[in-house]
Amino acid sequence: MNSRPVIDVKRVNKRYVKYEDAPLLLSVLQPWGRSQRGELWALRDISFTVNAGETVGVIGQNGSGKSTLLRLLGGVTAPSSGRVRVSGRIAPLISVGVGFNPELTGRENVYVNGTILGLSRREIDARFDEIVDFAEVEDFIDTPVKFYSSGMFVRLGFAVAVRADPKVLLVDEVLAVGDAGFQIKCLQHLDEIRKRGTTVFLVSHNLNAVRNLCARTIVLQHGEMHHDGNTNDAISLYHDLLEKAGGESHVDDTDEWVARLERLDLLGPDGKPTGHVDHTDEVTLELEVTFLRTTDDVILGVGVLNQSGALVYGDSTPWTGMGRFKAGQTVRFEVRFRPDLASGSYAAQVALRNLSAAPLFPAPRPLLFYVGGRPLVMGATDLHAEFVAHRDGRAVTVTRKDPERGSVA
Amino acid sequence: MLRELWRARSLVRMLARQDFFVRYRRATFGVLWAVALPLVQAGVLALVLSTFVRFELPIPFVVFVYAGTSIWSFFNSGVAAGSTAIADGRDLSTKIYFPRAALPLVRSASNAYSLVISMLALLGLCLVTGTGLGVEVVLLVPAFLLALVLTSAFGLVFGALHVYFRDVRYIVTAALLAWFYATPVFYPLSFLEENHAGLATALSANPVSGVVVLSQAAVGMTGTGLVAPVLWTIGWSLGLLVVALVLYARFDRVFVDLL
Repeated sequence: MNSRPVIDVKRVNKRYVKYEDAPLLLSVLQPWGRSQRGELWALRDISFTVNAGETVGVIGQNGSGKSTLLRLLGGVTAPSSGRVRVSGRIAPLISVGVGFNPELTGRENVYVNGTILGLSRREIDARFDEIVDFAEVEDFIDTPVKFYSSGMFVRLGFAVAVRADPKVLLVDEVLAVGDAGFQIKCLQHLDEIRKRGTTVFLVSHNLNAVRNLCARTIVLQHGEMHHDGNTNDAISLYHDLLEKAGGESHVDDTDEWVARLERLDLLGPDGKPTGHVDHTDEVTLELEVTFLRTTDDVILGVGVLNQSGALVYGDSTPWTGMGRFKAGQTVRFEVRFRPDLASGSYAAQVALRNLSAAPLFPAPRPLLFYVGGRPLVMGATDLHAEFVAHRDGRAVTVTRKDPERGSVA
Repeated sequence: MLRELWRARSLVRMLARQDFFVRYRRATFGVLWAVALPLVQAGVLALVLSTFVRFELPIPFVVFVYAGTSIWSFFNSGVAAGSTAIADGRDLSTKIYFPRAALPLVRSASNAYSLVISMLALLGLCLVTGTGLGVEVVLLVPAFLLALVLTSAFGLVFGALHVYFRDVRYIVTAALLAWFYATPVFYPLSFLEENHAGLATALSANPVSGVVVLSQAAVGMTGTGLVAPVLWTIGWSLGLLVVALVLYARFDRVFVDLL
């Protein structure tokens, strides 16, 4: 493959000047009144190169500079200093259906969108059937897209962008939409075009997509690059950053409370705090609690929530059995479990309550962690399905070998 | 940048066509509205004014006025739409790069469809009113081209300024209101030349005057000097295009940060 990098970003800074939204009359009176402007460094000193066929993930919290980075790569905006060089046609999938006009039919939008992406009319003609086929919208191609379901809309946008045969494909959160079937199709397709030498840049909060597609991942935080390399390390670091960003949330007025939470950690199998665990790992939620008043009969509860905030698992100790805790006593509790879940980000919450379910200490910030589940498993949990085919008079169990994943290319 | 803009011409054409046809797609009478509005304006103006004043014209007053309003409404809506084009193009321009100058150009290009239809309607009006058409009708071609270039030039400049000063659209709207009366649409420039020579000179410097008098001449209006106003129009257009070139060369990739 070509040794020259497809993307070359060198010492890039991007500064935004924030203007106050001045009222109309005021800005008429002082059109040069820019005194109230502030500065915002969206990106600081970013350098990296990407070769043809690489798939790079970018993760980071909201406001970390991910979108700015994509805009710079797409040439939409210029860096304040430094250099961005991208060779070849770039197709941005920054929210798909760029320039889709709801009043136009699917067919018309394919042509408009293709033109925006830099295709000639003849090139679109040649790809048209393929695009419609991929998007699965044959029956609706002459219907205005405003009547499309969001899934159809996304599919059509995605199809145009990937069929434009771009050298660089910039993907921003598109895989969040569309049903599971289409998501898989997209992921497979991204993998396919990656093999053909297209560079894919994936910006996402969906750590699964990043983990499945990208061997290499960049972590951004407050506009700075904290990591560029192995995806698993990136995900761990991302969770650490999330933890730190949340800050400590101990409430001072402890008079109200029966106990005080001193510490809460998620420990990996090695007994060290971690933000990234495997579904086979034995992990421990460890909390240290100082009792401020003598208390009888407390209940220790744990809850695990998935990314959409749904409770995946909740459990607690029985009503009795913990005995009495004396004032001033510090107790270490351990909640051990095996996170046999589908891949994804989860939040663990713990609570100590009395028998009338009143909490003994203020609710701590949920602990965020990433579970690397079995490949292909989707949804909220892993039910360990077995697949059996009954044929020719016998039952064949279809086993699959779980491949090694997330390895760096 | 000009090369990039040239490469984006099919984009401009595509978006302009889309913009124009989508605008009238849901209306029962469709594209007819593109003709109807300036025609109504001309009709009302002709009706109202003919009760107050009588100009000695070689053509029916309504034909004369419509020759002007068709140009004026093109200019009016093109400049107004062009001045907000970049600010309105946010959805597209924050996602993909293309020369930003394409956005105001799309607006004037999509209005050009209406202008063509209006001009055809003007010819139709001539037939209906029995106004004889001579060889001078070919003046509609330079009138069309000049109108397009002039409107684009204004749209480009105002469009860029509007990103920085969001008052521009209101200033433009207000200015266009007054501007209409300073344009020889419902009075012949020749009338002023006879009665208010100073005013006539001033008004022929109005960039729109040149296009309007061309359009009027095309349907048989005589007695108005074409050279001075047309030269003014060309001068304005070129001057504004130079300004636009400077603005877009400097701010092309900066606009997005201010949207």
